[in-house]
Amino acid sequence: MSTSSAIRPGGADGLGHRATVLQVEGVHKAYGSTVALAGVDLTVAGGTILALLGPNGAGKTSLVSIIAGLRRPDRGRVRVGGIDVARAPQRARQLIGLAPQETGVYLPLTVRDNLRFFAGLAGLRRTELRERVGAVAAALGLEPLLGRRASQLSGGERRRLHTAIALVHRPALVLLDEPTTGADVRTRAEILELVRGLADQGSAVVYSTHYLHEIEELDASVAIIDRGRIVADGVLADLIARYGSSALELTFDRLVPDVARIDGCTVDGSRVRIPTPDPALTAAQLLPHLGPHADALRSVEIVRPSLESVFLTVTGRHFAPHAVEPVG
Amino acid sequence: MISLRRLEVILAHEVRLATRDPVPVLVLILFPIITMAFLKPAFRPALVQSGHPHANGAEQVVPGQATLSAFFVVSLITVSFFAEYAWATWDRLRASAASSLEIVLGKAIPRVVMTIAQFAVIMTTGIVFFGLDIRGSALALVPLVVTFAVCLVLLGVAVTAVCHTAQQAQAFAVVGMVLFGAIGGALVPFSVLPHWARVIAPITPTYWAMHGFTAVILNGNGVGGVEAPIAALAAMAVVFGLIALRRLRFDDHKTGWA
Ligand SMILES: Nc1ncnc2c1ncn2[C@@H]1O[C@H](COP(=O)(O)OP(=O)(O)OP(=O)(O)O)[C@@H](O)[C@H]1O
Ligand SMILES: [Mg+2]
Repeated sequence: MSTSSAIRPGGADGLGHRATVLQVEGVHKAYGSTVALAGVDLTVAGGTILALLGPNGAGKTSLVSIIAGLRRPDRGRVRVGGIDVARAPQRARQLIGLAPQETGVYLPLTVRDNLRFFAGLAGLRRTELRERVGAVAAALGLEPLLGRRASQLSGGERRRLHTAIALVHRPALVLLDEPTTGADVRTRAEILELVRGLADQGSAVVYSTHYLHEIEELDASVAIIDRGRIVADGVLADLIARYGSSALELTFDRLVPDVARIDGCTVDGSRVRIPTPDPALTAAQLLPHLGPHADALRSVEIVRPSLESVFLTVTGRHFAPHAVEPVG
Repeated sequence: MISLRRLEVILAHEVRLATRDPVPVLVLILFPIITMAFLKPAFRPALVQSGHPHANGAEQVVPGQATLSAFFVVSLITVSFFAEYAWATWDRLRASAASSLEIVLGKAIPRVVMTIAQFAVIMTTGIVFFGLDIRGSALALVPLVVTFAVCLVLLGVAVTAVCHTAQQAQAFAVVGMVLFGAIGGALVPFSVLPHWARVIAPITPTYWAMHGFTAVILNGNGVGGVEAPIAALAAMAVVFGLIALRRLRFDDHKTGWA
């Protein structure tokens, strides 16, 4: 396959395809009166990718931080490779590669030194270290930048380095918190390919994102998280079959007129969504009735059963505006 | 628990970060030397008056300036922690296989070495260019300087532990340097300080360092002259270490700038 085939989870002693790598049980977390996680259960096996999907403030970062042992849950338990993260954080961390939501790299150091440092901390030495640094740099297009200081990288290049640091030691459990933020199309594709490759080689991956189509591209399982709870989870196709619905969506340049407010629709300001098994037919029937309101119509969209519609069904909300797919 | 191999990786990394910006260290060596040049004659009368007729001023100004500039390591240590927050690397470091102790040692050890080297350069310059005459045993100064360096570095870790922003830590470090330097007799000879300052001086590490320097350089003592200062500095180091241990929470939310 691709260049990413050079990245293979090391140190995954006994872990690998289909063995449970991550187990999250009944995790609760509150910051003062803000409840971030209200009882989360998850299991991720080696060789699989779990996409965490949820709006801003849903609890994704809190969950990832708890898994990585950076925060303690108020209740519940996290086990990585069978090791209780709260009891033996240091042993558990040896199995984990984390790329937090916020880009974190040593700005005064070169790309190479950044990678070498974290690879060294993970226990890699000499030839092996050099090989892994080279492989991850190649997979993320960082090779020509190895000698450059991180402070002189563009935002997207820095993001690639940030992600590479989490993957350089081929951890058994990869935790990526919105890795493609600020990445262009090519970077995004490289990251997705590398992540897919790591999973194929046996790593378990938890991947939080706002981009629905990345989940489709990764062929990941999905856990939709909303207000600190997993409101739906499963394989993408199952979720769509279960919760996905087709719909007709009309957008006006003013509040939705009454004539378009059909039974069962959801109205969101100037946008109305009408669930229907045959959106085209519904459009053909409805549009002639708009009369003078037709002028205010800005768009007519046929919504196919998709993750987007699953999200709407299980949360009752549209996806956050910034989660709109980037053009590309 | 410490893995020596990991500690080695962290040490190399910290040294690399420090050498990316060698200017502070150069300034810390150069400035005291310049200050020594014009303050030396000013201090001679005070030393002569306090019973050292052969003193030329270097006996005060050389160790005094070295002690003052060493104090800057407190600030450098806090910066090395707060920079991790500014770069958002702190959580990554914590999520790595490195233990808290390895991380702290990795930052502390190179700074202890740097501080000792700083002393060596400034004292040597004092001997060669400013006529500094060490009457007692120069070797006795070695454990004194080492203990003082460890004490200051641990003070830096303790200050980091109790502060929430880089600015707070800087305020502590800079004010501490000037205030402790003045009260402890590094800025000006101890004998010219007001009585109240001399009474409270022993709570500062600077006082004990200068006490040890004076005992060896001016009074011609050997190891016996630095025993008490070393014991006092070691006790302070333990206190700072305990504060650091108690208050340094690795999951604190701090704000830093780089
Ligand atoms: N340190 C903190 N102190 C107080 N509240 C916090 C803290 N961190 C997060 N929260 C709150 O906890 C909730 C979950 O936050 P979290 O960062 O886990 O969400 P998220 O799903 O990662 O969101 P985003 O998509 O914006 O990154 C939010 O309501 C947030 O305001
Ligand atoms: Mg987040």
